[in-house]
Amino acid sequence: MTSAFLRAIVDTLLPGDHRTPPLPSGTAAGVATELEHLVAGLDGALHNVVLHAVATAAGGQEAFVRADALGRIASVRTVEAEMPGPFRALVAVVLQDYYEADVVLLAMGWRAEPPQPQGHAVQPFDEALLGPVRRRGRMWR
Amino acid sequence: MARLDPVDVVVVGAGLGGSAFCARLSEQAPQLRIVCLERGDWVDRSAMPAYRRDWQSAALGAWATSPNVRLSAGGSRSADYPIDDSASPIKPLLWNGVGGSTINWAAHVPRLHPSDFRTKTLDGVGDDWPFSYFDLEPYYDLNDTAMGIAGLAGDPAYPPKRSPRMPPVAIGRMGEAAARGFNAMGWHWWPADAAINTVDRGDRHACNNGGPCLTGCPIQAKASADIVYWPVALRNGVELRTHCVAQHVIVKGGRAIGLAYRDGNGATHEQPAAFTVVACNGIGTARLLLASNIGRGADGALGRHLMFHPIAYARGMFTEELDGPRGPVGACVYSHEFYEHRPGRPFTRGLQLQVTRENAPLHQAARLEPAWGEDAHTRLREEFRHSLPVMVVAEDLPDARNRVALAEGVAADGLPNIRVEYTLSENSRRILDFGLDRAEDMLHAAGAYRVARVPLAPLTGWHLLGTARMGDDPATSVTDGRGRCHAVANLIVADGSLFPTAGAVNPGATIAALALKIGDDLAREVGR
Repeated sequence: MTSAFLRAIVDTLLPGDHRTPPLPSGTAAGVATELEHLVAGLDGALHNVVLHAVATAAGGQEAFVRADALGRIASVRTVEAEMPGPFRALVAVVLQDYYEADVVLLAMGWRAEPPQPQGHAVQPFDEALLGPVRRRGRMWR
Repeated sequence: MARLDPVDVVVVGAGLGGSAFCARLSEQAPQLRIVCLERGDWVDRSAMPAYRRDWQSAALGAWATSPNVRLSAGGSRSADYPIDDSASPIKPLLWNGVGGSTINWAAHVPRLHPSDFRTKTLDGVGDDWPFSYFDLEPYYDLNDTAMGIAGLAGDPAYPPKRSPRMPPVAIGRMGEAAARGFNAMGWHWWPADAAINTVDRGDRHACNNGGPCLTGCPIQAKASADIVYWPVALRNGVELRTHCVAQHVIVKGGRAIGLAYRDGNGATHEQPAAFTVVACNGIGTARLLLASNIGRGADGALGRHLMFHPIAYARGMFTEELDGPRGPVGACVYSHEFYEHRPGRPFTRGLQLQVTRENAPLHQAARLEPAWGEDAHTRLREEFRHSLPVMVVAEDLPDARNRVALAEGVAADGLPNIRVEYTLSENSRRILDFGLDRAEDMLHAAGAYRVARVPLAPLTGWHLLGTARMGDDPATSVTDGRGRCHAVANLIVADGSLFPTAGAVNPGATIAALALKIGDDLAREVGR
């Protein structure tokens, strides 16, 4: 599995966008590097099956790399339809790496730091909102 | 098998039911020698993911709410056994360890309504409980006091609650948006009762709205049985043995004489006891009792009448910015407008509409369709911090065909394999559809420009109820109103398995109250 092919797969699944702030592509977020490590390891067997199927659908790894965006999407969709479970597992893996990358979280308007220890600020409760409910009678039986 | 010194009471399971029972019994009958066997271990709060950058993926792996997912991921601190849930559209969720499923619960602790205890009498369905809401009320109060409840007095959907309350958990922008919608519809809503500190209380901190309660609360703002009930029980002299898996209840001459269990080193022991108490949740309790041949006739009630709370989601999209995953995930606001049975509706009994916080970015991305490509980015941009989820929680009526049953083979823990057989009833389906329509009405009234629906959410099987139900008739129930098995009088159940009916609210408060009551019942019998 070539690096170029894996990068092309990752950027087809996670192309990023050009809004402000922009979402980076999967490769720019470091996902392709993670995927290279994964498919080279023992846990990569299932994902390798999917990746080979994409290459086959495209006419080879190089053909997939050379294809334009629509061509790549078509190959990926073919494999998604053929093996939805394994394909979804591959997507889950790249999503995990992507949405835990600092640059992606910041682009989504979130923060890179985990929930603790600082927690979050949430506006206090305005009890006046309950006025109409408080005026109701007993509801329970 | 080594025979140990006899004790007065041996308890299986150190979760909510077992811990509340041990704490109460040891307080009310301090002369008793009580031993509790727990298959798992204490949870290490420093290992909880909320401090880590991989906190999102941890919730999909070793810290998932599903034991099957955790087993697949490996490395979990929960002592799980596989559950064959292929014959159930709702997947069981739980935690195996000291504290049980309160380790990863949302700590939303509503009570049942008084009518939930009398569904047969009032509405002609289900079964009446052997006692009333008002019989259980003092124990609800005891649990409230032990856990510490954030909430607000005066909810017209309930009788007045006497126990003190901390200020409610902040409902935030999402709660206020929902409140606008409910008010516009003229419907009931109320801030959630939560077993979550909103002020520092003892050595437990106030909640800082960090959010991912379902992977455990490392700052101990969220109550759980390991930090609420176990310190009391241990101080009272209860002995807790971890990594000990009960294999079967030993019955001779119609009485339980103790338990056989396997310890963490694989050695087997016999623990003789005058009373045996099982509190392993609606799946684990049925598994152990079925493996022990307790009341195991072809038509026996043991393992049957499994009830979940079937859940559907309506998710409103708003142009305004909302809170997303800020705040305690399950404790925001709820509506009981459609909780009580009303003739003329297309279903029997009712539902709760529960407004929750949103998912973390990864979890929200993972459930989108399509999950990849430009459209997925666009959809997540639209939803993240702009969506408001409403859970439709249906009351599931008891049905003997829904059950927990032993399966072929023996699991690694030495007990038979277990499977869940469950079909969503027509009545539950109609409740969910009605509730989705009402949730959508509310969301539009609150300003949502689009509403997406999830007709039935699979990973919501938190509430495992009814498989050792209370009742008077041994043909249709497993225990009496004191949790005593009809077939073996000194064998007691003390968990959610006992529920004859489920109501439409989270059962934690009721499980704890029941276990406290059963502890009191036994203390009275043996003499305080």
